[in-house]
Amino acid sequence: MNTFLAAVLTATAPVVLAALGGLLCSVSGVFNMALEGQLLWGAFTAVLFSHATGSAWLGVAGAVLATVLYAALLSVPAVTFRADPVVVAVGTNLLALGLTAFLMRQVFGSGGTFSSPDLSGLPTLAALGLDLPVLGPQSPLVPVAFLLVVWASWWLGRTRSGLRLRGIGQHAEAAESIGLRVPVYRHAAVLGAGALCGLGGAQLALGNVTLFSEGMSAGRGWVAVVAVMLAGARPWLGLGACLLFGAAEALGFRLQGFGLPQQAADAAPYLITLLALVVAAAMRRDKERTV
Amino acid sequence: MNDHARAPSVELAGITKRFGDVLANDGIDLAVERGEVHAVVGENGAGKSTLMSILYGLHRPDAGQVLRAGAPVRLRSPADAIAHGLGMVHQRLRLFPGLSVAENVVIGAEPVRRGVLDRTAAHEAVAELAGRYGLGVDPAARVGELPVGVRQRVEILKALYRRAEVLILDEPTAVLTPGEADGLFLTVREFAAEGVSVLLVTHKLEEVLAASDRVTVLRGGRVTGRFATAATSADELVRAMIGRSLGTARQERRQPVEAPPTELAPVDAAPVGVKAGAAPVGARAGEAGSYLLEVRDLWVRDRDGVAAVAGVSFGVRAGEIVGLAGVAGSGQRELVETVTGLRRAGSGTVLLGGRPVEAGKERRVAYVPGDRAGRATAPAMSLADNLLMGAQHGLRLRPAQVRRRAAALVERFSIRASSVRAPIAHLSGGNAQKAVLARELSRDTPVLVVEEPTQGVDVGAQEQIHALLAAARDAGRAVLVQSSELSELRALADRVLVMFEGRVVAELPVSQATDERLGAAMTGATLPQPTGGAEGPERLGVAGPQPVGDAEEAAG
Amino acid sequence: MTGVENPTGTAEPAPAREAEARGGQGWAVVRRLVLSPAVLSVAGALALTTLVMVAVGVDPSLAYPALLRGALMDGNFEYTLAAYVPTLGMAVAFAIPLRAGEFNLGGDGQLSLGGIAAAALALHAGGSYVVPLLGAALAGALLAGLSAPLRTRLGIPAIVSTLLLSAPAVSLASYLARFPLAEPGTGLAQTPLLPEAARLPAFGAGSYVTIALPVVAVLTALWLYADARTVPGYEIRALGANREFARYGGVRVDRLAAVTLAAGGAFAGLVGGLIVLGPPYRFVDGALTAPGYTFTAIAAVLLAAGRPPAVPWAVALLTILQAGGQGMEREAGVPSQLTQIVQGLIIVIVAVGAVVRSRSAGRRG
Repeated sequence: MNTFLAAVLTATAPVVLAALGGLLCSVSGVFNMALEGQLLWGAFTAVLFSHATGSAWLGVAGAVLATVLYAALLSVPAVTFRADPVVVAVGTNLLALGLTAFLMRQVFGSGGTFSSPDLSGLPTLAALGLDLPVLGPQSPLVPVAFLLVVWASWWLGRTRSGLRLRGIGQHAEAAESIGLRVPVYRHAAVLGAGALCGLGGAQLALGNVTLFSEGMSAGRGWVAVVAVMLAGARPWLGLGACLLFGAAEALGFRLQGFGLPQQAADAAPYLITLLALVVAAAMRRDKERTV
Repeated sequence: MNDHARAPSVELAGITKRFGDVLANDGIDLAVERGEVHAVVGENGAGKSTLMSILYGLHRPDAGQVLRAGAPVRLRSPADAIAHGLGMVHQRLRLFPGLSVAENVVIGAEPVRRGVLDRTAAHEAVAELAGRYGLGVDPAARVGELPVGVRQRVEILKALYRRAEVLILDEPTAVLTPGEADGLFLTVREFAAEGVSVLLVTHKLEEVLAASDRVTVLRGGRVTGRFATAATSADELVRAMIGRSLGTARQERRQPVEAPPTELAPVDAAPVGVKAGAAPVGARAGEAGSYLLEVRDLWVRDRDGVAAVAGVSFGVRAGEIVGLAGVAGSGQRELVETVTGLRRAGSGTVLLGGRPVEAGKERRVAYVPGDRAGRATAPAMSLADNLLMGAQHGLRLRPAQVRRRAAALVERFSIRASSVRAPIAHLSGGNAQKAVLARELSRDTPVLVVEEPTQGVDVGAQEQIHALLAAARDAGRAVLVQSSELSELRALADRVLVMFEGRVVAELPVSQATDERLGAAMTGATLPQPTGGAEGPERLGVAGPQPVGDAEEAAG
Repeated sequence: MTGVENPTGTAEPAPAREAEARGGQGWAVVRRLVLSPAVLSVAGALALTTLVMVAVGVDPSLAYPALLRGALMDGNFEYTLAAYVPTLGMAVAFAIPLRAGEFNLGGDGQLSLGGIAAAALALHAGGSYVVPLLGAALAGALLAGLSAPLRTRLGIPAIVSTLLLSAPAVSLASYLARFPLAEPGTGLAQTPLLPEAARLPAFGAGSYVTIALPVVAVLTALWLYADARTVPGYEIRALGANREFARYGGVRVDRLAAVTLAAGGAFAGLVGGLIVLGPPYRFVDGALTAPGYTFTAIAAVLLAAGRPPAVPWAVALLTILQAGGQGMEREAGVPSQLTQIVQGLIIVIVAVGAVVRSRSAGRRG
């Protein structure tokens, strides 16, 4: 049971980080569908910096920084120029796919999967002297991911900037009329989401495993988008949706051991996410129908 | 003019602002003293809103400056304006529906204790302010759940909380009943007594005369008059507002009003399927005919299951205009949507020419929605494509034919457009509204339903639209007009229905539809029983707390 | 309206106006063309691509000629044409629902499902290629059509549901190709060769260009006609421009949205069938999705910026880039993923360009 729980947390952490970023954007009134590409970019840059510096932590820092920069590709068009964030996100997601594959060949000289003894992964908590059950074999970023959810929930509800961010998302014009600088908050939210995706990507590439492979975000960013849709402005609900996804992924892995085809395991997280979406939508479906 | 010993609280000097080819403000000077209620009046499009937006930092003037207490200030954003003690209550309230009253009031200037929002302090501050000025609001209530009149109080509290010394009220009574408006003006007086300068922006003269100390009149972006309220009259103000006196204005209504001929076509050249030679607006040409639209005991529930329309019955006859009044959110929108078949009735029936309306089936009434950008048009589509909607049938579409048809409508309704291929969003509000009306009148259905016929429409187009509606009535259509402008209903309608909390609580012939009566009905207050026969209720089974009189005899 | 006559018209220098009037409209046309969003975005994307090349130490003067050679010369044109067909089909699959305001991001799933359906029918139903192609279209339509009730009844955006349904569909096709339909004994993730009768006729023996080309071309032309010159086309455009406006105008919006999604899915499924029934005449796991037709097509449609007649041209441009990328990789050693970078950048630039343009056009009192 402990190993299963550990597997759930491992699978969930990157999604939680990305979803939290998406949630901040959604609260500020920007629909962020660029999470998938940013996770991938975060994973790649984490490996890049870890390989270059030999330090996993510098890899994490590099990933965060690089993904914040990458998120500007969404925030500038969508916030400053008011371009359609959905279209921009389609573009940046595609760009991330191409850019990581391209740079991988340029920098590491090969496509597919890159791993190397020079690449330093994140230590486990156990290795850092915290041999807790379930959490022991995880990287420190896993508890950080969950603590960030707690923090975000508090911050949105109880701080000045959190209140303002919520206001801006609800009625941008009203926020402007009391002197709030809407674009500043929105840029901050989108770039902050970039930072969180950078962390998520780093966990994916240096925590869950120690390698980079093409397209390794594998739809986690989309699951995070769905989690945001499910959560509305409530971080806790988003966390629940992510855990559901993580459980599905971990369960899929398990069942493969019992002869379930790999394809079914691959499909399970998407189907379960969609199912959750359907159930949630059906539950809050309007009683009244305007034909 | 000014008291030289002390500078005015706020002063606008030589303000000029141009939008594209429109000169919205042209060298406007305006000074407001401490403790003064200063009305700024003018018709729609006179430049009031632009001027106030400049004062509140939303627009920057091309020329001129703003002075506070004699010192020039640069207002580059609302934040600057707030910092200089300016507060504004917008016509369209700018509140956060999902936040509480207290959060809405303090946001942007929140009380904080050790880095954390101090909710207790916020609630106390709001409750204290509300108590001081008699603006009853619950600080903990969620704004989205409050009635619109209460929301406006929240807006005022917002400005007071920020210690505004200059308070701009932009058309504050647009969302209020006459009774609520009186309450607002009492509160405004209190502010003035405490030294606050109040700028009251309105186009309603009664309000100006009742509530202000001085008046500045704008027309076409210029100041055309400055008066001390006590020493002026409605007629003098009107002359400054429209360049001629009210009496003449009424007489001229039938004719094109000092606009170029391309702008205003003679009414009789205009509508499709409408008799030539329109009668003056506000007077019925002939006797009304049979009921073309009948609503019987209609119930409609909104998304929360609350009855938005609760047992409404009425009818509209051929050749009459029935007005629909009520505070926003009293069920008018749901009623109209059900009548037009866009919304499903909970129970009861809507009969069009004796045949029940089925929701979701083809619309059998001409309908001019109030939400121009949201429903009546697709702003990004061309004028031609917008004019086509509803008339598309069969399979093939010939673009050239669509454009020819559009061009014909454009000409017949004298819509000012550069090209029928250009997006309808490029048209002015008045021309877009005329285009919608043109499309709907060309449907040639016997029943016409219009929401807010002249919202956001310039004066010239307003008169044309009123004339078109009157002409449609005279051609024998049954017309239902919903408007939040009581004066508009009085000018157009033969009788007025008033809705309150989903019910029709009064039906008044236009001759009896005074502000007092309408206002009382709009707030659900009991009315003196209107005179009139009893034909209506029996025939139509009108439900409601009041016996509802029939317009027929009284109006005749 | 109340304002003074706009003087800017007369302020323009006289010679320029004369030239515009006299020298025909040639100059104006050129200027409009050069400033059109498509040209601007391609130019912007190429500039950025060149920057990327320089940044990673590739000589653009070698890379670009290599790209063109790789796409159009040395007998490569046939491959480019063979890639053009499915990309154009996928572009239409994305564009049809987009006209109604729905994003179909599930192209990969619809493509794979269509492909495997065609393979299954060809292997087990026998007969010509007609039934497998119809089956492929049906499979794609059903998959995409699933998103319609999710959208209309539950309010789940099609962009999310199509994407979430896509991955499981790809997995399902992969599973079928590996197990029930796998070529026995080889252990490869592919079906056996399809029977001769079911194969699409090719133009010349061993050619990669099959009758898929005319099929897709005719269907695309039909779509362009329907969009501009039929009532349903008009209603779809109105639905995409303003859903509430269409509903108010008597359009059955939910049904129409469902139809466009299913039509898009049918197109994608058909493309899957056309690929599988063409060379190498079998369903190879991953072979449909690996070339990235879906996203190249999406980039092309967005590049066309809401003008359907521009779609075939945008597809041609991006297919040349895509196909040329291989040549560039061979000759100049530039990873072919560079073309994906260009596509991504084009989409971003188009999105910004559309807003900047409409803002400058819509600035009127």
